[in-house]
Amino acid sequence: MRFRAGNGRRFGAACFSGSHRQNLTAIRMWTTKRFPAFWLLPALLPVALMTIYPVAYAFWTSLHSVVLLFPDEPFAGLDNYTRVITSNYFLDALKNSLVFTVFTAPAVVILGTLIALFLQRHFFGSQVVRSIVLLPWVLPGAISAVLWIWIFHPSFGVLNGVLRDLHLIGGSIPWLTSPRLALFAVGVAHVWTQIPFAVVLLMAALSAINSETLEAAAIDCRSALRRFRHVVFPEIKAMVVVLTVYNALTAFTTYDLVYAMTGGGPGTATTLLSFQIWRESFSMYDFGAGSAVAFIVVAISALLIVAITRALPSDLFASE
Amino acid sequence: MNIRTFLAASAIVSGAAVAQPAYSEDIDLEFVVWNYSLETIQDNVKKFEEANPGIKVKVTDYTWPDYQDSIVLRFRGNTPTDVIYGGQDWLPAWGAAGFIAPLDSVAPAADVDALKADIAGFALTDVTYKDKIYGLPYYADTISFIYNKKILADAGIPVPTTWEEVTAAAEKLKAGGMEHPIVYEYNQELPNFYDAFVAQAYGRGAELFDKDLNPVFADPNNEAYKQLQWLADAYAKGLVQSETHESKIIPAMNTGKHAFTIVYTYVLAALNNAADQPRAGEFALAPMPGATHSTLGFAKSYVVTAQAAADPARAEAAWKFVNFMAGKPYTVAKRWAVEKGLGFGQLPLFQDKDVIDAWGKWADVKALGDQASIAKAGTYTEYSSVWSAYFRPLLAKAMVGEAPVDQVMKDGAERWNQLKQQFANR
Repeated sequence: MRFRAGNGRRFGAACFSGSHRQNLTAIRMWTTKRFPAFWLLPALLPVALMTIYPVAYAFWTSLHSVVLLFPDEPFAGLDNYTRVITSNYFLDALKNSLVFTVFTAPAVVILGTLIALFLQRHFFGSQVVRSIVLLPWVLPGAISAVLWIWIFHPSFGVLNGVLRDLHLIGGSIPWLTSPRLALFAVGVAHVWTQIPFAVVLLMAALSAINSETLEAAAIDCRSALRRFRHVVFPEIKAMVVVLTVYNALTAFTTYDLVYAMTGGGPGTATTLLSFQIWRESFSMYDFGAGSAVAFIVVAISALLIVAITRALPSDLFASE
Repeated sequence: MNIRTFLAASAIVSGAAVAQPAYSEDIDLEFVVWNYSLETIQDNVKKFEEANPGIKVKVTDYTWPDYQDSIVLRFRGNTPTDVIYGGQDWLPAWGAAGFIAPLDSVAPAADVDALKADIAGFALTDVTYKDKIYGLPYYADTISFIYNKKILADAGIPVPTTWEEVTAAAEKLKAGGMEHPIVYEYNQELPNFYDAFVAQAYGRGAELFDKDLNPVFADPNNEAYKQLQWLADAYAKGLVQSETHESKIIPAMNTGKHAFTIVYTYVLAALNNAADQPRAGEFALAPMPGATHSTLGFAKSYVVTAQAAADPARAEAAWKFVNFMAGKPYTVAKRWAVEKGLGFGQLPLFQDKDVIDAWGKWADVKALGDQASIAKAGTYTEYSSVWSAYFRPLLAKAMVGEAPVDQVMKDGAERWNQLKQQFANR
């Protein structure tokens, strides 16, 4: 038997009388339905302080000439935006950011799905394997970067060593200092750092699938690929989409690996827009230009979200 | 004890406390450094505190790549900061912004003049802004061309004296099976990257700017232009292996797979350290290749902030600290030289027996002295660190063939002129 709130209220009204009823009326005056904004204030105030104010201040900065070495901060209008868009790095950084996003976000989701499907199985040592797969998640970005620098190192790196031992290469490959390979190398490191989070969410989505459905599918269809396509994927597709959007944004705004692994180089080969925010602000002391790049990143990120969600089927989040 | 006695005793104690607060209260100095050999820094600080009761020094450290940003944010955020490590390329900007104070505002002019007389020319230039001395050298060094003696001797190659000879030697070694004879510190986010380029250009006798601070390096006949072309050619021929930091050059050179590198001179001490390097003793410095063999000399310094200078008590304590770390009898500078192989700007130390003995273990002391005597300071202005941050990625692009040398030099000169005008108008 299920009790409804309405029943409870009627039951309460019958039991209480006189002063109790007046007290109840006074309490109802302060219910969350009467003053929703007031009750939301404790949550809204920190959000306003920690998010809205910095964003608004950054926007103000992007419209002013804020160079750390000068005390005055005159209004500059859209000069900062014009200057960064017409600068000699902007097109390279934009292209790199988009290429990086287009390749790494799907890679994280596809590899994450495959690993999650594999880890759903029970086998000897499966708990240990799950822990190892999650390891990159607990490593700070800078540590991951150092690790990958050594993997890609031309003289001492594991990767070149293995390729040499397999006689696949004669000399060493300069993974991080070749303009043609550096973005790929940073992308590999980025995918590695992002996979654990995707695996955790996809395993949660997979474990929510009704086991009877899976058993019935196993009887009806022998092809694992077709079972995945027609039974499993429809159940986890909402999570896949969320992860795709999340990873697209993460890839588009990534900074730490680029900073630590290549410094945006060689030249502009791995310069992403998000890295350029740092370079303008902290390397060239120009917070106005840095903030302008930041708002361009925000605008492009918003466009990315809209584009991805529009490209999806309209019934995606509808209840099954 | 009756009430009258108690009150009298209290009055005496209170009076004594009020009479000498300046002597009984500790001054806490904030000393900000990059984290090279932090244990030695802490030990030097401890010795200072023992010698100066009443002054405590708190050390805050940042990594070298993050140092400049962190310092500027501390200044802008009014984070208490009293004494800092300064760099020659940042000092004019910090001075112009009013972040740091000239030493004559915290120390007796006679004391500063007495120390000034002992400082090497290029080091003095690096701590001076608008004719005021802003710091005393923490260390002063040069950038050196370093080679592996054994590899060259085994291959019958004489020590190259020009960049063309370096190419010939590297090509010969490559033909003999050495994949990358040159290993190069290639990290466009580090000031070292630009410094090393300037040092090579100085070796050729280049001037990058004229006396009015106009850039002249975009001229194809300029030696800096020629050196960038040389670097691009060397990369194109596959003679160079890039490393992101000097700490990786040390093990790379010790594999015996590389014959040449261009780094800060103190790296030679680490390369020849028999305690942890298998090929220690094989490395030596040669005069920087080129017509003049000059190189870049530079000084890092102890600098007092404007914050500290504004408070007389802190200013006095800060000067005591700077004088302890870099002043006579140069004990701390000598310690860095003997224990870590760091160069120094204090000329009397060149005659110090302990320094000569210690340096003799890893370098030809006469060659070091000769190099220091012809080293030149860089050109540093209020905007040079901002410009360098812009120019370094361009240099990096040109080296690996991603941008033509003439375009890079032209862009670099154009940006310099823009900044010069922008800073002149503020």
